[in-house]
Amino acid sequence: MSDPSTPFDSRPDPVLGAALRAALAPRNSAAFVGRVVAAADRPAAPLDVLAGWSRLGIAAAVLAALFAGVAVGRDAASADSATSSPDAAAIIAGTEAPDAITLLASFPDR
Amino acid sequence: MLAARARAGDRTAFGELVARYADQARRVARAVLQDPDDADDAAQDAFLAALVKLEQYDAARPFGPWLMRIVANAATDRRRRRTVRRAELLDDGFIGGGPQPDAMAERAVLLGRLRKALAELPERRRLAVVLFDMEGYAHAEIAEILGMPEGTVRSEVFHARRHLRTLLADWREQP
Repeated sequence: MSDPSTPFDSRPDPVLGAALRAALAPRNSAAFVGRVVAAADRPAAPLDVLAGWSRLGIAAAVLAALFAGVAVGRDAASADSATSSPDAAAIIAGTEAPDAITLLASFPDR
Repeated sequence: MLAARARAGDRTAFGELVARYADQARRVARAVLQDPDDADDAAQDAFLAALVKLEQYDAARPFGPWLMRIVANAATDRRRRRTVRRAELLDDGFIGGGPQPDAMAERAVLLGRLRKALAELPERRRLAVVLFDMEGYAHAEIAEILGMPEGTVRSEVFHARRHLRTLLADWREQP
């Protein structure tokens, strides 16, 4: 074993390095390389393709939800403006059928 | 450059890249996972992920640290997913018994002790010492691979060495 180091020691310990290399040494490198290259050449499985699309799908769903939210918000705002005039409030609060002229006057100008 | 050729779709270049970094990637993955088969699966995942991500690789920077970051992440992901299994601490041949020369038996015992000592370290510490003392990466490169400050890498290597040296005081370098 080499001399004890300090945290400021920037030199690798060759003895410890050799020991670690021996302890973690892989076997049959050629077979492993062949296996990886073969896997890279293999066409992607359908599930892999779907997995590749999943991020795009999630992003598209988020955008669609945002647009839907904006559209619903606009409609709600339009409905609010339709009931914000005094005439409209009177129609909603009244118990009798509204007069046609009053009803037409309550529509907002478009 | 191999990475550029592989990025352009040259499968031969990709094969050469795999051949060049295979042993290193498998050792680093094994430092995380301990089990050699799991480590090979993680290393393969890493090479395939690297092939897909080659577009993101900055050719002005060294390829090794970029790849080792992918390897370390692949091994860590696999370790999180799998059911906890105890690693084999001794070589199959040693466990199998039978007559062996004393030197080989002693070496097998020492390697088993080293793997056991390594397994006792926290994962980041284990990776730091393996990348520094075994693979020869600089502290700054390891900081980039592991996503931690350089000072932390130095500290992790220091503590890992102290632990391993304590347990392997009778280690003798084998030819």
